[in-house]
Amino acid sequence: MLIFSRYTWWVGAMIGLALLLTIASQAGILKPFQGFYLTFTEPAENLLTAVFRPAASFLADAGNLNDLQDENRRLRLENEDLQNKVTSLRQDAGRVKELEQALNITRGAAGGARLAANIVHRDSSAFTDVISIDRGTNDGVKTGMVVLSSQGTLMGSVTRTFSDRAFVRLITDSKSKVRAQTVDSKADGIVEGSPNRVLIFNMAQADIKVGDTVETLGLGGNYPAGLPIGKVSEVSGSPQDLFRKVRVEPLVRFSTAQTVLVLTSFLPEQIGLGAQP
Amino acid sequence: MKLFAQIFLILVVALSQVTVAPLFPIAGAVPDLMLVTILCLAVYSGPRTAMWAIPVAAVLVGFTSDRAPGLLLLAYLPLLPLAFALEEARLPLNRYSQVALVGVATGLWARSLLAFGAVAQDATFSPTVLVRDLLLPGALLDLALLTLVYVPFRLVGWSPRGMTLQRGHL
Repeated sequence: MLIFSRYTWWVGAMIGLALLLTIASQAGILKPFQGFYLTFTEPAENLLTAVFRPAASFLADAGNLNDLQDENRRLRLENEDLQNKVTSLRQDAGRVKELEQALNITRGAAGGARLAANIVHRDSSAFTDVISIDRGTNDGVKTGMVVLSSQGTLMGSVTRTFSDRAFVRLITDSKSKVRAQTVDSKADGIVEGSPNRVLIFNMAQADIKVGDTVETLGLGGNYPAGLPIGKVSEVSGSPQDLFRKVRVEPLVRFSTAQTVLVLTSFLPEQIGLGAQP
Repeated sequence: MKLFAQIFLILVVALSQVTVAPLFPIAGAVPDLMLVTILCLAVYSGPRTAMWAIPVAAVLVGFTSDRAPGLLLLAYLPLLPLAFALEEARLPLNRYSQVALVGVATGLWARSLLAFGAVAQDATFSPTVLVRDLLLPGALLDLALLTLVYVPFRLVGWSPRGMTLQRGHL
């Protein structure tokens, strides 16, 4: 400690300051300052993102050219298949609407009001995956609200709000947990984010196959039922295992998403828990 | 004027850390722009500059990314004592090697601390992911970025300063 003697007071002061900052942060004392700072710096953040995002997209696409070509071929086939299904579903939807009117049934929260927002930045590491969006309490965004992709796939939920900014924990964050089920086999479990932004479908007991679609179950009150999450990409373990390891590929590509939808019509039943889904 | 320029630099780097750096991940990791900036400030502007720059950087990065500023302050804290200890140890290392060693060691400490901070808040821990996907690529990226910044300044004639604090000042 002798060699640090001239820095000792400074290190001590910084540890004290870190403690004070932690207490102030936990007590919410820093929130007004952070809100002001985020409002003040928003134009600069938008400018930096607008300047560098095209270059990043170009580099990412160039690096994944073979993958993109494969994906394109697969999507063409899938598109054709989906077009056929859409025709059939349109006929079904008309019939369902008639029946809903006849039975006086209102639509669930998943089809409710949505607020479009731009992604300002993404703080992504092996253990965290958080984005910030350019909407906040001024726009009616509240902690716990569900955030979807522009196509309606579940992306995450709001964890912190400011006047015109909100932070969203993505489902790939290793703190995220969502009650979910497979659409076909109705196997229910928990979709958890795990290190390196991988989605794992835990505690599911039914016969799950690669390609099964996983959607929110709606239990627990943090998410409405029926929101698509992803497709099963890998099932490992033996059939004798009580719970097999199921990996889920998100339907949305988080790295290239620029716009999200905040489901403003749905509020979690327990806000406190909603902040840490 | 120099003070305002340094504060402005820290602000721009804090914003770039969360807007620009994540757009260019390499092997899933992003360089710690703020760590490299603080280290360069310490080397080229002196340890007294880094002494106030570290807490300011921690608060600004914390505000921008919604991370705990206190934890970020602890993450960057070993930089100065480590640089001073290396200088005093009189190891057979040139100045660049010393700076690189400080940068890599502080980067490893900072990333580990932030990862354990996330784990303490209920994130799933994986030592393999921590080492393979966070610490190793992060250290290499920091080293590459540090070299890109440090060497040109040396080539244009900027001299690195010592980490010893003057007696009577602090």
